[in-house]
Parts: sequence; structure tokens; C-alpha cells
Amino acid sequence: MKAAVLREANKPLEIEECQVSKPGPREVLVRPIAAGVCHSDLHFMDGSYPYMLPTILGHESAGIVEEVGSSVTYVKKGDHVITCLSAFCGHCDKCLTGRLALCSSPDVSRKPDEESRILQDGQPIHQFLNLSSFAELMLIHEHALVKVREDMPMDRAALIGCSTTTGVGAVFHTAKVEPGSKVAVIGCGGVGLAAVNGAAIAGAGQIIAVDMVDAKLEIAKSVGATHTVNAGSGNAVGEVVEMTQGGCDYTFEAIGLKATTEQAFQMLGAGGVATVIGMIPVGTMVELHGVDFLAEKKIQGSNMGSNRFRVDMPQFVDFYLNGKLHLDQMISKHIKLDQINDALDALKTGQEARHVIMFD
Amino acid sequence: MATQEVESEITGTVWKIEVKVGDKVEVEDVIMILESMKMEIPIEAPCAGTIKELMVKEEDSVVEDQVVALIES
Repeated sequence: MKAAVLREANKPLEIEECQVSKPGPREVLVRPIAAGVCHSDLHFMDGSYPYMLPTILGHESAGIVEEVGSSVTYVKKGDHVITCLSAFCGHCDKCLTGRLALCSSPDVSRKPDEESRILQDGQPIHQFLNLSSFAELMLIHEHALVKVREDMPMDRAALIGCSTTTGVGAVFHTAKVEPGSKVAVIGCGGVGLAAVNGAAIAGAGQIIAVDMVDAKLEIAKSVGATHTVNAGSGNAVGEVVEMTQGGCDYTFEAIGLKATTEQAFQMLGAGGVATVIGMIPVGTMVELHGVDFLAEKKIQGSNMGSNRFRVDMPQFVDFYLNGKLHLDQMISKHIKLDQINDALDALKTGQEARHVIMFD
Repeated sequence: MATQEVESEITGTVWKIEVKVGDKVEVEDVIMILESMKMEIPIEAPCAGTIKELMVKEEDSVVEDQVVALIES
């Protein structure tokens, strides 16, 4: 199979020939049809999150089951599936208390002494987040996928595999946004736009999208933003506090920066909750004004939208097909696997929404 | 001869240890691999030298800034 391999941080991906191992008892071989190119992939490419190399990036995909392991009963060959990096073991304390997205059990990976799931001429290639979707085949644990209805377009389904689940899930599950509330979302990439859309579905009364790119703010309006703020003005916090007459009930940081995380907290009104979705580089410290805690302002993290993806993703598919979830405008371009570096370069500029790789 | 501490920069679980006591390592050689929130994160040697002590074993939990190994350089 062809795959886009990262061999060294800050270097382009190389399209190389790799192989997959045979499915183990609880593994599924998936032939991806579509894979989104997500900003999180860049964090690992530029080394702000260290990762074992060589690896094959990509973690947002939809495809068709090609082969199943001997113990797999949940899916069969030909089923349409969305993959998810939140592979859950099903028996740890996090899983058993309903917080599946926080499962960190190694049971969903192969053991250190087993053959790697991905190989190149017998040498192991490290699987990225238990997925590695920039490849023509994916060998994954059965708990890293969910079956979906076959009338769902695969390119839209792929987005549900990460950005939609992360953004909408942060609104629904992590923050539990209430109808009528005042919401601000900082950063209108794929995840931020999904949070805007999620806030609209949840019935928020005021949804303020904040970004520095007007084109993205226009997309935000089309998916549910009631107001927009171009942060290039230099006073995004002041504008949001003024628009909401005292600050938000909920804010979402969807970039992964110290400054915007602190702004998300500053945009809160009394009793408000800031939810940090973005991946802040390892080692970065965040500073808050301690006095704000007297106003019962809160700040929390959200990992993959605190998902229960086997329940959430089919619901998101239904939301798309009944017109509540707007995925069409999230895709700026369809590309082939060998155009992956162009897509990653485009992401760095912050000017475009999402490129989606379509496999033949 | 000086002893250099090797620290984890993130909280996680030791998935695989790639060296044993007495092994010689170069700067940036992978000493062990952590699993943290689905990520495989390498802990690399900060200097060249000989592995003097491993303070953790596979499947142990480690926290940010924890010393996981000593290198004699």
C-alpha cells in the first residue's frame, strides 16, 4: 500500500510503499475512502508534540471494512465505518465510568513484543494514534471504529472522525451548553466551526465566532454564528465582553495557544466556563488572574469532545443528513494522497478550511 | 564522569523500554516510549553516555518531570 510517511520532524511527508500485518483476533482492516487533513497533524510534524518516528500521520477518516479478525463480530466485510482515535478498552475505570475518550489502556495497541501493525520491508512503522489514515489500508482495533449508514457521503463522514466530534462534543459533552446561553468560539478552523455549529444545535442564544480571517468568519455565520469578531483588531476580549454585556457563559478555545486560552478565560462572565480544545504545545504554561475565581469562572480541557463515539458519530451522521450539521462548507478541496504536503502547507497559512484526501 | 537525569516531559505509561543498564547511548537515542492519551511519545537521551540506572519498568505510570533514568556521561 502507498502511505505518507513522516521520517523527520519539519520535513515533508514521503509517499512510500508500506505493508500491514495480518489482522489479530480483535483487529479490523479498513480501506479508507476519505481522510481529512487536520491541523493536529501539523503539531506532530513540527515537533511541538514529540512522536515516535517513522510514522504515518492522519487520524480523521471513513472507509469500508476489508477484513476482520477472528473474534470480531461488530462489523463485517463491506460495512461503512468511521474511524476514531479514541479507541476504548471497555474495562478500565475511565471506560466503566462513561469517560471513554480518556481511556489510555494499552490494550487497544499491540504489545511491545508483537509485530507492528504497519511495516516496511519487515521494519516497524509506528502507528499514529492507533490509526495512521494517510495510507491506502488501516489495520486498527475493533474499538477504534463505528458503523455508519451507507447513504452518508464518505468525505463528509471522514470529518466526523475528528473535527466534528471534537468541536460538537466539546459543546455537548464537555461544556454541556444550555439553550439561550452566550457562547464565544476562538478559532474557526474545522474544530472551531464544529463548535459553532454544535452551539447552534444546542440552542445557544448568542454565538460569537472569533478569528483573524474574514473568509472563515463568513463560514462561521453559515454554520450558526450570530456575531463575528475579527481578532486582528487587537481587542477581541473587549469586543466579546461588550457584545455579551458582561461576558460569556461558555467560551471555547480551538487553536491551542497560550494567548487565546487566556483570552477565552477573560471573555467569561461570572459563573462562565472556558473549555480548551486546542492542543497547546508541551511545556507551555498558561496564566490566569486569580481574582477571577471569586466570580466562579472555570476553565477545563476537552479531549476529542469527551466523546462516546459509537453513540455520537451515528447521531452526527443523522444531524448532517437532516440538515442540522453543516459539513459541506468545511471542505475546501478534495486531493489525492500524493498532494498531502500541499494540503499541510495550506493548513499552515490558516487561510483555508479542510482538504480531504480521496483514495481511488 | 557526571550523572545526568533523564526526565519525562509528560504524564503517561511506560509502553516500551529500549535500553538496559550498561548500554551506551548517543544524544537523542530513544531510551523508552511512553503511551499518553493515545500518543507514542519518545523519551530521548539528553546526552551521550552509559545507562547507569532505569527507575521505571514497562507498564509503570510516570508523571511530568519524573526522573526515569540516569546516564553516566
